[in-house]
Amino acid sequence: MAVLEVRELRARYSARGPEILKGISFDVEGDDFFAIIGPSGAGKSTLIRCINRLVNPTSGSIVFNGHDVTKMSSKDLRMVRRDIGMIFQEFNLIDRMSVMDNVLAGRLGYTGNLRTLFRMFPRKDIDHALHLLDRVGLSDHVDKRADELSGGQRQRVGIARALMQDPKLMLLDEPTSALDPKISREIMALIKEMAQELNVPCLCNIHDVKLAMEFCNKMIGLQDGMTMFAGPTEQMNEAKLDEIYAMEVL
Amino acid sequence: MTANASPASQAPAIPKRWSRYKHPESLYSYAGWLIAFSVVVFSIEYLNIPLDRLFGMFGRMGEVIAQRYYPADIDYIMDRDYLGYVIETIQMAYLGALFGLLITIPLAWFAAYNMTPSKLFVYPGARVFSMSCRAVHETIWAILFVSILGYGMLPGVLALTLFSAGFAAKLFAEEIEAIDMGQVEAMRATGANLFQVMVFGVFPQVRVAFTGIAIYTWDVAFRAATVVGFFGAGGMGWYLKRSVLQIETERVAAIILSIIVLVLISELLSAWARNTVMKMK
Repeated sequence: MAVLEVRELRARYSARGPEILKGISFDVEGDDFFAIIGPSGAGKSTLIRCINRLVNPTSGSIVFNGHDVTKMSSKDLRMVRRDIGMIFQEFNLIDRMSVMDNVLAGRLGYTGNLRTLFRMFPRKDIDHALHLLDRVGLSDHVDKRADELSGGQRQRVGIARALMQDPKLMLLDEPTSALDPKISREIMALIKEMAQELNVPCLCNIHDVKLAMEFCNKMIGLQDGMTMFAGPTEQMNEAKLDEIYAMEVL
Repeated sequence: MTANASPASQAPAIPKRWSRYKHPESLYSYAGWLIAFSVVVFSIEYLNIPLDRLFGMFGRMGEVIAQRYYPADIDYIMDRDYLGYVIETIQMAYLGALFGLLITIPLAWFAAYNMTPSKLFVYPGARVFSMSCRAVHETIWAILFVSILGYGMLPGVLALTLFSAGFAAKLFAEEIEAIDMGQVEAMRATGANLFQVMVFGVFPQVRVAFTGIAIYTWDVAFRAATVVGFFGAGGMGWYLKRSVLQIETERVAAIILSIIVLVLISELLSAWARNTVMKMK
């Protein structure tokens, strides 16, 4: 059974505004590294934000582990969100907090208000955070403030934060576009390695087609909110890419 | 399909001339300047401001200070009773600012458009409340509370509380509206609730600004505290009023000096506190 089933998803930001997503459907299965490619403005970010309802879709369904996310109360939605780790293009770390606190923030969905206020996380969480920071290679930076780190290091904190949630699905919103090509590849490799190790499927927005071809096993190509391609990465070719990116010149 | 159309056939004609303000708008802006200037001229004309007296002011001011306000009566402000009232003023300002800031935290949250729990009800309610606190001058709050509660510190503290809350909530809400929403989004994505999003996503971003606002609020509250005593709401204002009425100008000078010194001290403390908070993790 698919972890995530998206059917006929439509979204617009305001009642009179243009439709950003025009009926998108796809499935993400247990071991997928699923890429969403397409030119700027195609609706990639909107699509990925609909999955955990940072953006509310106007119609269609998103079924995550058997539950329709689009029809949930805000309480149930929080339960779903804590099962979905998210990594951002601009990292979105809490700049003024330490690396440790940033990683622990991944546990907020499991933490009470009083503990949150005093940042008193359970011993178990702290140990797990230390372990994850070791895995992403940041053991030396645990107590640094997040804004003291370089771009690549910050995204590693982002990865650790997402994994801290014990996610059943990872959403990656252009995880490498703020990084240079070498670091981009390292970060993608790290995400893939960790995802495989922990058996977490990933849904990844990416505009770098080369990286997508290298790391992802399935992809859909969006253009102006419509699906232009869907299938395994091997079926993607130059002609189809040209078609998907034809509108970018505008 | 538009994507295949050749760019040349669609390119718009290059405009021959360009100006920042196009024809009708340019007239409005000239008219605006003209009106603003005429109002200034009209006001001066109407008030019949004697410019020669205005320029002679500085000499007279020097004379008055030299003859009447100098030397300041330092012994008077070293008096035990007076120092007691200074302490009372500080206490009043401190309590007023503290209670005001405590109200400010939820009030600013509700009154910040991007984070308010409900844009339809809570947001306008919080805005109206903070605006009405600000709309009424602190001395009028003091008069109001003195008439309800009688003389003493309590009406002073209440007046300062409302004054501080209205003042700080506006500044703080503006800070919250200017935060990076990416961090807020990241916290929402972890499944954090509204309160947790505030603690992790919002507060770290506004903490330094909040400290600055808190200290500034204290400064303003302290200055206001020296005045509310004028109306019987406690503190050194009463001394100031009495000395002014008795035309004890040297004592007035000493009291004003003591206010300046106290405000200076609080400025120095505020600079130090800001720096400390900035470095915190």
